Amino acid sequence: MSGRGQVQFRDIVKMHGDFAALKDVSFEIKPGEFFALLGPSGSGKSTTLRILAGLDAPTSGRVFIDGKDVTSTDARDRDIAMVFQSYALYPHMTVAENISFPLEMANMPKAEISAAVKDAARKVRIDHLLDRKPGQLSGGQQQRCALARAIVRKARLFLLDEPLSNLDAKLRLETRAELKKLQRSLDVTAVYVTHDQEEAMTLADRMAVFMAGEIQQVGTPAEVFARPNSIEIAGFIGNPPMNLVPARYSNGDVIIAGHRFKTIMQASGERDVVAGIRPGALRVAPSGLSARVELVEDLGDTAVLDLDCAGTLIRVRVSDENVPREGDTISITARAQDIHLFDPTTGKRL
Amino acid sequence: MTQAATTTARDFGRVLAQRERRFAAALLAPAFLALMATTTFPLFFLIWTSAFRMDLAMPFTNGFVGFENYSVLLADERFWTSLVVSLVYTVSTVVLQVVIGLALALLVMDMKRGQGLFRLIAILPVVLSPAVVGMIWRTFMLAPEFGIVDFLAINAGLGSKNWLGDPLLAMISVIVIHTWQWTPFAFMVLLASLASLPEDIYEAARLDRATAWQRFRRITLPLLRPAIVMVIIMRTMVALTAFAAIFTVTGGGPGTATEILNLYAYRKSFTELSIGYGSALAVALLIVTILISAILFAMRRAK
Ligand SMILES: Nc1ncnc2c1ncn2[C@@H]1O[C@H](COP(=O)(O)OP(=O)(O)O)[C@@H](O)[C@H]1O
Ligand SMILES: [Mg+2]
Repeated sequence: MSGRGQVQFRDIVKMHGDFAALKDVSFEIKPGEFFALLGPSGSGKSTTLRILAGLDAPTSGRVFIDGKDVTSTDARDRDIAMVFQSYALYPHMTVAENISFPLEMANMPKAEISAAVKDAARKVRIDHLLDRKPGQLSGGQQQRCALARAIVRKARLFLLDEPLSNLDAKLRLETRAELKKLQRSLDVTAVYVTHDQEEAMTLADRMAVFMAGEIQQVGTPAEVFARPNSIEIAGFIGNPPMNLVPARYSNGDVIIAGHRFKTIMQASGERDVVAGIRPGALRVAPSGLSARVELVEDLGDTAVLDLDCAGTLIRVRVSDENVPREGDTISITARAQDIHLFDPTTGKRL
Repeated sequence: MTQAATTTARDFGRVLAQRERRFAAALLAPAFLALMATTTFPLFFLIWTSAFRMDLAMPFTNGFVGFENYSVLLADERFWTSLVVSLVYTVSTVVLQVVIGLALALLVMDMKRGQGLFRLIAILPVVLSPAVVGMIWRTFMLAPEFGIVDFLAINAGLGSKNWLGDPLLAMISVIVIHTWQWTPFAFMVLLASLASLPEDIYEAARLDRATAWQRFRRITLPLLRPAIVMVIIMRTMVALTAFAAIFTVTGGGPGTATEILNLYAYRKSFTELSIGYGSALAVALLIVTILISAILFAMRRAK
């Protein structure tokens, strides 16, 4: 089935009156990929997905699927299945009728339909609920029903708009893992919208990070995590988020709260920068930047420390063994390759 | 000590509840009595009257006759005709109201602007008195030569028609008039429930490759079913007991062409002054109305 479900967005703009929901968005999705659209609420992820589905038309720009320009093709004719954030189940139909609806619309013979419905329901483990109406299902079961309705027809693209956001924390983790397996076994191109960076990191083969209607970075989760393109992305991805502190760069070193850290930058000269260090990349060491422990958040296997370094707040993640106590003074260091430098005015990575 | 305290507390509670009940009864009493006086009492009086021969033109024959009025009624051809006219009138007006009302509601839902204005115009016929509507149609619309409808018919080459003098045309006219006046009601109810349908399921249906017609058949219609059934029930009861518009437009004529059961009961009682037999006709109408409502409500509950 590979070769199906290739997507290309070219210079897509979407205006709502004077408000630009999408400002010149371009990206490409490869066949068979699990592609995430990640970004904070209101950044234009759903808008992008709806334009891809054909539910909304872009103000300008072109959408290509499998090399064909579908910008003015109706949603009906794009061969795309979608799981809505609200699930959008047909309230008057049973689970079985909901799942069989897309097949009936495709004029599949009755006998084949019932087999296909059972198969799809079994894949998402709701085959015991086929006679219920959506109103008689829990949130998780409704979500599975929506999922089954989307996978029952072998569409070339599979879109999911925050499918896990209405589930409780435990169910979300379980379903997340199942989704990934499902996508692998179906060998289908999936586009997944989420505001939860952890979901995107764990599920996606590649992801596009949206900020205020623009894509700021496209890459694999590991790439984006390792080399965030901008201060915004650095602050958005990772939990707890990266420490971003004003600092001064000087001939390959960066001075944070009076302490010199080595960096991998070679450039000579001096300038103001924003230094970014992930909480997990900081180490407690005998010598380094000295800091007072303000607060200890014990998470069980790890602990997050809020440190006061001469007036600057820095957070550190330490593993269990010797957690300092509140009020202690410790010193911290970081490896040169773990220090990210950003331009304080443009916000871009240096 | 504590035992006594709780007992009195419980007694106190009981007294309070009793007082409250008495107060509630006192508040309800006037409305209840007014209701009894204006609905229940006349109803029983009607049934009582239907067991008498009460002929104001021949008062010397008056007296209790038991079920005689009803046995006469069952053999009365004019009763059966009027019942058929009632049913034709009811079924056709209700079907037309629902179909046209639904079509209008679907159209207006898709209108980007002007929805408010359309609703305002649409509601106008409903707020007019049926008697006024009847007068308007009889004079402005259907009058030969001068009425708008007849004028249009002449210009369309159909020639002037005797709209209210021809039995078939008169029946069509009263059906059209009732439909004209009451379709806006169905329209408003159906528009409101259309507007309450979730939008996302239509988007899901589009992605599921349903055509516009399939979306209407498989989604809109089933979801509107409760509203449609409700409109049918309400409009059926009104159509069965319609009176003023027909009375002012045709008076039941020509002959008995538009004489619905209600009108026959009226004519019998107050034109021919046979009040006992007229009452029996009214009771027959009541029974028909109750039967049909029962069937409709049963249909509503089914599924
Ligand atoms: N129909 C609309 N009219 C005006 N603004 C809209 C409309 N739809 C979306 N927007 C705006 O566009 C922006 C992006 O929305 P959306 O794509 O839904 O964000 P999200 O990334 O949370 O899914 C938001 O600021 C939202 O308010
Ligand atoms: Mg969204």
